[in-house]
Amino acid sequence: MSDILIQAENISKRYRLGVLNANTLKEDLSLWWQRKRKKQAMVNVAGDSYFWALKDINFEIRRGDVVGLIGKNGAGKSTLLKIISRIVLPTTGVVRGRGRIASLLEVGTGFHPELTGRENIFLNGNILGMKKKEIESRFDEIVDFSGIEAFLDTPVKRYSSGMYVRLAFSIAIHLEPDILVLDEVLSVGDFDFQQKCLAKIDEISKKQGQTILFVSHSMQSVKSLCDTVLYLEKGRLVAHGDASSVVSKYLLRENAYVSIQKFLDKSNAPGNGTIRIHEVEIRANDQPVTGVIDTQTDISVRFSFWNLSKGHSLLSVNIIVINFLGEGIFSATSEEVGFKDGLIHGICRIPKHFLADGSYVINLVFFQDKRHILFEFNQSLSFEVKSSAKPLNTGRWQAPVRPKLPFTFTQTT
Amino acid sequence: MWDWEVKTKQPWFRFGIRELFHYKDLILRFSKRDLLASYQQTLIGPLWVIVQPLLTTLTYVLIFSRVARISTDNVPPLLFYLPGVILWNYFSECLNGTMGTFQYNAHIFSKVFFPRLTVPVSQVLTSSFRMMIQLSVFVAIYGIYMLNYDLGVNRAVVLLPVSLLLCAGFAFGAGLIISIATAKYRDLDTVLQFVLRLFMFAAPVVYPSTIIPEEWKWLFWLNPLTPAIETIRYAFFGSPAFSLLPLLVSVFSVGILLVIGLVIFKRNEVRVMDTI
Repeated sequence: MSDILIQAENISKRYRLGVLNANTLKEDLSLWWQRKRKKQAMVNVAGDSYFWALKDINFEIRRGDVVGLIGKNGAGKSTLLKIISRIVLPTTGVVRGRGRIASLLEVGTGFHPELTGRENIFLNGNILGMKKKEIESRFDEIVDFSGIEAFLDTPVKRYSSGMYVRLAFSIAIHLEPDILVLDEVLSVGDFDFQQKCLAKIDEISKKQGQTILFVSHSMQSVKSLCDTVLYLEKGRLVAHGDASSVVSKYLLRENAYVSIQKFLDKSNAPGNGTIRIHEVEIRANDQPVTGVIDTQTDISVRFSFWNLSKGHSLLSVNIIVINFLGEGIFSATSEEVGFKDGLIHGICRIPKHFLADGSYVINLVFFQDKRHILFEFNQSLSFEVKSSAKPLNTGRWQAPVRPKLPFTFTQTT
Repeated sequence: MWDWEVKTKQPWFRFGIRELFHYKDLILRFSKRDLLASYQQTLIGPLWVIVQPLLTTLTYVLIFSRVARISTDNVPPLLFYLPGVILWNYFSECLNGTMGTFQYNAHIFSKVFFPRLTVPVSQVLTSSFRMMIQLSVFVAIYGIYMLNYDLGVNRAVVLLPVSLLLCAGFAFGAGLIISIATAKYRDLDTVLQFVLRLFMFAAPVVYPSTIIPEEWKWLFWLNPLTPAIETIRYAFFGSPAFSLLPLLVSVFSVGILLVIGLVIFKRNEVRVMDTI
């Protein structure tokens, strides 16, 4: 029976807004003076501006669990992590815990730009509660994982943001705290490193029994990694349970994946004087999408739009597929066609076995004469792809696309 | 049992000394970083540690001794001012380092937890290191003067560590309280810098305590810096103003200030994050 490592009881956090939050003594004194002179009049006006970032949160986290924290921006995820990390105090309630906790709420906090990578490993390790000897014993591992050996003696102010993340994450993950708290730090890194980090998280939780609490917007990684998931909405805990059911609830409630958008009123539809969107839809095997799309199904992107360009130009449509990190996976452009004004329907087919597991967003771009952008319909559709077959030995797909390409073999001896 | 708890308020009397000890590597690293960083892109680098108090002392010799003709108790002016300048510098550096704890680290504090006390402690450590160097320069100059003047160190020199601890403790205790206050009210900083400048003249830095009128002496000696500076002067120059009682009183009052400072700091170190 695994024991409870963190217990949160009735956690609420209230922030003050507005004038009461004076930052200078002069402002506070004058406020106090005004209140004294006008007696009660001022108090109520100022007293109203409160905001509950968190309200009555209760949960427990067991040893060795990987816990995902999901919710929209402003749902209180970061505030909750800050309270657990002892950075801010709760307004009500209490959090109890066992063991050492290390949090990485932002990439490279405490890095000193003038110092080299090597010195910063020590500085940051110390800040996260490691002793010099512990850092020395793990130094090679940290450097190895981060893959920045060549820049170890360069001041970090010359690092790219990607290198920053690599180094920061490597330090935190090699700390071996009992509880590792990660805010959305992973979303900054590149795809390869992301995969590497997720694999590492999986490894340390399974093999070393470390507990990890992390915020993610990638339902994909939440589902594949987490044992349990906490789902926050407007400061309240709306669901807490096994990953797939909470994630489904989240997707349902937040309408996270948009598989169809329809605009009936031409004058109000997204667009401009030349293009108006009528309908966009993503389909799996030519059926409406009901959940996660299997990698073994054909995906089609259907779109229809009103062409208002008075017919004197050649139109082409460009579809860009972007992953949850905001990186373009591929871009496909149609032939140029000269349309008359009116409602035009198009389909673009993405063959099965093409996209690897993940969440994707589609941007539609309309071009005139292949040069001028008429209209960009960004984030028009979103969907998730998951394979029912196991990926080759590594447990993860190594690249964002995995097309079935023809191979030929010859044997010479 | 639980190892730790996060509650709505922090306890009154838990200074987290053991936790602080766990982070001693961090304290040392902060100190080292500050020492290295402060001399980057400077002309004469670490030499400033020595040059700065000497220049200040020379200025005082010129203004207060030559022009204003304030007594130096028959001690060569250069020698007379130097320990006062060193101790005052030590005090004000410790104070400034400690009171800026939240102002200068708000960004880090809002993103990562580590005992906040590591910051002011490392500041005091850095200042102590500089002060030690300056003090050895003073001893060297003292040695040179001994060749020509009738000077001699007396037993009171064993009280030197007490003097230094008084300066550091006074600055640290007051700095902790001020750091919490300035985290909430930023304009307090400007006021305090001004007060600090005036405060130098309330301590016997540029004059001997013997010139203070009798009826104000009690107040003057309540300032812990007075016995701290006069003890050194007595040990090295046999200055007439020294007496043991005010020194003991100051040890006591600085002790109380330290406890109050720690209580206020520990009680508010997390709470102020809401207002920064």
